Amino acid sequence: MSHSPMSVSPATADDFVLAMENVRGGYGDADILQGVTIKVAPREIVVIVGPNGAGKSTAMKAVFGLLIVRGGTVVFDGEDITGWAPNRIVKRGICYVPQVENVFREMTVHENFEMGAFLRKGDLTAAYDRVYQLFPDLKAKRKTPAGDLSGGQRQMVAMGRALMLDPKLLLLDEPTAGLSPKYMEQIFQITRDVRDTGVSIMLVEQHAKQALAFCDRGYVLATGANRHEGTGAALLADQEVAHMFLGG
Amino acid sequence: MAIIDFINFYIVPGLLLGSIYAVGAIGITMVFGILRFAHFAHGDMATMGAFIALAVVGLFGVTPWTALPIAMVLTAILAVGIDRTFYDYLRKRPAILTVMASLGVALMLRSLVQVIWGVDPQTYQRGIVRPDTYFGILLRPRELYTFLSVIVIVVALTIFLRASKWGKAMRAMSDNPDLARLSGVDNRMVTLLLWTIVGALCAASGFMLAINTELTPMMGWFLLLPMFAAAILGGVGRVEGAVLGGLIVGMVEELSVLVMPGQYKAATAFVILLLILLVRPRGLLNGKVL
Repeated sequence: MSHSPMSVSPATADDFVLAMENVRGGYGDADILQGVTIKVAPREIVVIVGPNGAGKSTAMKAVFGLLIVRGGTVVFDGEDITGWAPNRIVKRGICYVPQVENVFREMTVHENFEMGAFLRKGDLTAAYDRVYQLFPDLKAKRKTPAGDLSGGQRQMVAMGRALMLDPKLLLLDEPTAGLSPKYMEQIFQITRDVRDTGVSIMLVEQHAKQALAFCDRGYVLATGANRHEGTGAALLADQEVAHMFLGG
Repeated sequence: MAIIDFINFYIVPGLLLGSIYAVGAIGITMVFGILRFAHFAHGDMATMGAFIALAVVGLFGVTPWTALPIAMVLTAILAVGIDRTFYDYLRKRPAILTVMASLGVALMLRSLVQVIWGVDPQTYQRGIVRPDTYFGILLRPRELYTFLSVIVIVVALTIFLRASKWGKAMRAMSDNPDLARLSGVDNRMVTLLLWTIVGALCAASGFMLAINTELTPMMGWFLLLPMFAAAILGGVGRVEGAVLGGLIVGMVEELSVLVMPGQYKAATAFVILLLILLVRPRGLLNGKVL
């Protein structure tokens, strides 16, 4: 149950884009999170894994203001955003891609991107170029309703919509849920490409092994608290983590 | 019966009635799609709009068709006011409460019409108007204007919803409200726009029914069933579906007299509603499941 030191990250506390520390809270009266600490450095992909009911998605929602936070702080880009409403957080530079119902099904791919940029003013050409460059498959489908696309392509639309606001931090809630292994790899690759455009990424994953192999750093949560943390490779090599997930 | 007679006696009246239903059904389907409740005051709001137009005609001595846009604006303001006073208050409660509240609003509006204008039938203009002939098709000016107005309204609304920023925001809110809010769409602004549009559409449908028949305090209430049938037939939340549904319901009502006694005309909308809910509850154009 020991918390490993933060030796794996070269960044100091001020350098983190996101620092949620010792957060407690839940949706109603009961606390689902019992003190969770997760930090994301600039241009870093951080993955949260853990068994069902560990509070992975809940931890992500705490960042985005979708949770009643009763203790601890969430600091984003040097500003305390604990208790902010989601629409304020969006404007500040965090975008969130829900696990399900994450596209406008009856609207075209391009309209989905337009809605993503709803709060932005001025010329959006660069933003459109960026998403169509990241998701070249979608260029031919820009006039197709998002609901008619395959699961993998819908996930791309969802990520593209979130990127239209040019966030500093992107939150992805189980982006590979229900996708075939081929699409899972593709989504991971796209996530890296997105990171390379200068975005920090925090994602929750059910596929722990694959996710830890691809991320920069990972956190293992269990029953609403931190269990392990470290680089993806270190966590994969950890006996206890292996036992938890990998059937080792 | 010659084809041209069939067109003049069944198709033209069916299309006329259908386009009036269509304009009303668009409003119902939009409220359903965005606020997720069945708006029972829709018909009586249409009555109110028609009588407001009558008041405008009486007060300013303008022609009925000039009074229509003024009545649309005034009814839009009324609709926004009703939302702020009654529905907004219940927004966070179960939708059924708002449905019941809208029934109450319906009764209030109807009583208000009866108090102000009395219970007797009225008309915008007296006298008999002879139809003109267009390639053998008989059309009175008011029928022609009705068709033209419906086309203008549907085209303008479609352009607004497809091409404007806030039109897209309204579609997004109807499609996926949570995601629309995550994208920063202001719920209150969408609601305000919605009731503005719905109020204007109500006035238009009420006015067009009244100018082609007569004004009575109950006219809107009788519009309610065919308008709901049209909205559900087309697919809830689908504007183009509501237009299609309205035209079908109007046409079937007019054609029903060929096979059934005329007294049953009003029941056809009910039959269509039952059939569509049994066979294809998502409607012709795949609307939301209720």
